[in-house]
Amino acid sequence: MQILYTLYILLSLITTVVAKTHTFHWNVSWVMANPDGLHERRMVGINNVWPPPTIRVNANDRVVLHLTNSLGEFNTSLHFHGLFVKGFNAHDGPEMVTQCPIPPGATFIHDFNVGDQTGTFWYHSHTGSQYGDGLRGVFIIEDPQGFPYDYDEEVVLTVGDHYHKETQDIMKSFKTRFNPTGAEPVPQNSLFNETRNVTWSIEPEKTYLVRIVNTGLFPSHYLYIEDHSVTIIEIDGIAVEPFEVDSLYITVAQRYVVLLKTKKSINKNYRIVNVLDRDMLDYVPSDLHLVSTNWLVYNEYVPKPDPLPYFDFDTVVNALPEFDDDQFKPKSKQPLLPDPDMVIQVNFTMDMLGDGITYALFNGKSYTQPKVPTLYTALSSGNLSFHQSVYGSNTNTFVIHGDEVIDIVLNNHDPGKHPFHLHGHAFQVISRFNSDDEDNPLDFDPNNSTMTDYPEFPMVRDTVLVDPNGFLVIRFKADNPGVWFFHCHLDWHLEQGLALVLVEAPDILQKTQSKIPQNHIDVCDAVNIPHLGNAAGNRDFLDLHGENVQADWLPMGFTTRGYVAIVVCGLFAIYGIWSIYKYGIEDVSKDNSAAVISKLYKILEEYDSTANR
Amino acid sequence: MANVFNVQVFFIVFRESLEAIIVVSVLLAFLKQGLGGASQDPKVYKQLVRQVWFGALSGVLICLIIGGGFIGAFYGLGKDIWGKSEDLWEGIFCIIAAVIISLMGMPMLRINKMKEKWRIKLAQALVKDPKDGKMGKFRIGHWAKKYAMFILPFITTLREGLEAVVFVGGVSLNQPASSFPLPVVVGLIAGVFVGGLLYYFGTNASMQIFLIISTCILYLIAAGLFSRGVWSFETNSFNRKTGGDASENGSGPGSYDIAKSVWHVNCCNPEINHGWDIFNALLGWQNSATYGSVISYNIYWLFMISVILLMLFEERTGHLPFCKNLTLRQLNPLYHIKGKKKSELTAVEKEELFHQVKQQKFGAEVAETEVNAEDTKQFLDPK
Repeated sequence: MQILYTLYILLSLITTVVAKTHTFHWNVSWVMANPDGLHERRMVGINNVWPPPTIRVNANDRVVLHLTNSLGEFNTSLHFHGLFVKGFNAHDGPEMVTQCPIPPGATFIHDFNVGDQTGTFWYHSHTGSQYGDGLRGVFIIEDPQGFPYDYDEEVVLTVGDHYHKETQDIMKSFKTRFNPTGAEPVPQNSLFNETRNVTWSIEPEKTYLVRIVNTGLFPSHYLYIEDHSVTIIEIDGIAVEPFEVDSLYITVAQRYVVLLKTKKSINKNYRIVNVLDRDMLDYVPSDLHLVSTNWLVYNEYVPKPDPLPYFDFDTVVNALPEFDDDQFKPKSKQPLLPDPDMVIQVNFTMDMLGDGITYALFNGKSYTQPKVPTLYTALSSGNLSFHQSVYGSNTNTFVIHGDEVIDIVLNNHDPGKHPFHLHGHAFQVISRFNSDDEDNPLDFDPNNSTMTDYPEFPMVRDTVLVDPNGFLVIRFKADNPGVWFFHCHLDWHLEQGLALVLVEAPDILQKTQSKIPQNHIDVCDAVNIPHLGNAAGNRDFLDLHGENVQADWLPMGFTTRGYVAIVVCGLFAIYGIWSIYKYGIEDVSKDNSAAVISKLYKILEEYDSTANR
Repeated sequence: MANVFNVQVFFIVFRESLEAIIVVSVLLAFLKQGLGGASQDPKVYKQLVRQVWFGALSGVLICLIIGGGFIGAFYGLGKDIWGKSEDLWEGIFCIIAAVIISLMGMPMLRINKMKEKWRIKLAQALVKDPKDGKMGKFRIGHWAKKYAMFILPFITTLREGLEAVVFVGGVSLNQPASSFPLPVVVGLIAGVFVGGLLYYFGTNASMQIFLIISTCILYLIAAGLFSRGVWSFETNSFNRKTGGDASENGSGPGSYDIAKSVWHVNCCNPEINHGWDIFNALLGWQNSATYGSVISYNIYWLFMISVILLMLFEERTGHLPFCKNLTLRQLNPLYHIKGKKKSELTAVEKEELFHQVKQQKFGAEVAETEVNAEDTKQFLDPK
């Protein structure tokens, strides 16, 4: 017994020693950079370096990250995409959801344990579209027990898009009534490892582990290496049954980890091609490089093949095999979760509201930031935390109970592709359909057996594409108490309000994570945002007076103003016509009346006298 | 409908041909009343009447040819001038058309005044002594006098006709070419018809009512055009700011600037829905009214109403209110530029003028006639 106890003490000592604490002091500031070689601009870098570093930790490690905002005039924040941050909801990152925005000069401390997750994740600013300005990087959690596959070398590869203007300037011409179609800003270029025309020198007959992340804001990427196939072993931090593919289709925020086996022969070099998904763009500028070529170099003495024509999207993409992520089965053999205890159904539309700006709406509501971060409302509302209304009427907030199985049914009434992401969870994708019929989008029907023919082992990931005019059904277990954002990761759409909030088990949350770190409260004080109260900032939690709401609906047809205007116009026209009539009819009376004729002569005589004078 | 029948063109042609007919009818009346002794010799009279008709018709013919060629060439050459700033050009043309129509409309209600004007003008033309100028030395002066009854109507119809061409061009160069022929022909027919009625029956109440109705329609169109001009300017600036995306939205949300909208209905778009374009041409209807279009419509009417009231006042008192020596004519800068002030005739001068006209000889063998006071009076008052 004594021995066992000693062993236990020793073991726990070992784990404490193994579970390392990684402390980072990051100063977020502007750095001049020229990622695409065409335009120098300032990018958001870390400790005066852009691009930001890749973080590499082990499972169960603790991360302490001091984030200081030195951006001068802009707020910032940092989210760890794909991390469940179980038990550390306050460190998830999205502003006004789990924390206040970090104002210039303030330092925010993220302090969490990465838990037992392993795989490829990434971090990025969750303040507006700021990560498009460069605050983004890769976050890798390795398994201290070792990697299940043999490989010779590991490589991190990001793809993304790039704008020459800063995102806050782009926003000014995006969310305005002068952008009546709500057209998303088209990027100026695509990036490959945060630059372009990359040459990757490799050795023959080796196995490379490639962690691929799309850190872009907007379009998905097609990615392939000529004459090479790769084996996918992990998607969005979830290990999957190995699956060989010739090409990938990666939406923003998705990750694929693949094994690449290099060839024996070294007398040829190959193109690595990444292609922006043209179908997502409002228009294609003639100089936009849809097709970008990089090189896999076996032998630097052999000439590299020419780049593919940058505009020839069709030839390149039509030659690629269909890519369907539904076929990836988690290696854990996690079966379909049982029938849901709660179904959240949202219909998504893009509509113009009364201010002439096009918004994205879930069931007619465009996500509008509350006045108090939703997590702080959940923590401070006591027994009312299950009351959906305390989170505001315009935040699309749904309260769910702990350990329930939740289905989110998302009907896409928009002809666009949308990569949706849920914080704090990886979910099962159990049903997904698309439709070409723009006028009749396909809605999920629980009684339609084709639509509910759920797979036995559904794909699990944290960012999934919803097809145009189609729908998506995802299922997950509410086993991570917290406040979690569910939103379109196409960041322009998030800016248009394409988001909802899940308040998961607020009762447990109040018990286990009730204390807001003092540092987080200080940050709130620095931006004058309360850390108590409902969505409107009121302490009387059921009083939503003063909450932020979306713009009024566009007036349909005639309003009072219109009726008044048209009546006034009518009256003026009628009086004008009456004047013309009066003027016209005088001519007749003059012509026919002898009296007028004599009057005319009289006038003539008067003229005579004046003329003679 | 507006693609094959341009209402503005119709009214302009109608109005100009009416004026040409009045010229012809004044000349015919001159002859009938014994101008230059025509009444004494039926042969000479007949010859002179033929000259008048011949002159008038050839004038019309020539300007139809010129006008057709002019507009045809313009369309052939300058098809894509408007291109991207279509709305800007449409606005400019709408405003031009509104101004032209407004200036032309009112005189239609003063047919008698118009007649009077032409009687004086023609009389002046007739009495001009060819020997006064250098031309007098040549035979051409005699030739001109001999065929005065041809040349006068020829020149006037040609002038009126070219004026019509310019106006038609001005009001509708942004319209498709197919919208011209029909209203031109119909306008000609209507003008000749009404002119004929005027000649044979004189101005009477029902004729005047007809003219009033036409004028009212004309001014409704002009008000609509004015408002549409302003609307087009606003649309143009919105389209510039949206980079053309607004027009992608048909007539739904986003096709208009919400900040300037007074009303908007997602139907009845005159640019898309057939039928509403007529409503637009006649009354200036827009499915998406802006503050600019509504206010400009009302300002137009306010302006017209004030002008009409001033004209009525001036007709009654001979001057504008509060300014004893000022008339509306004098407010026109061209009045001073052209030196109209000097050439304005007093009643006595007019009398003298007609007196002289009577003594003119036209044709080959015209006998001189005595002029008496009775005749002069007849000239002053056609009745």
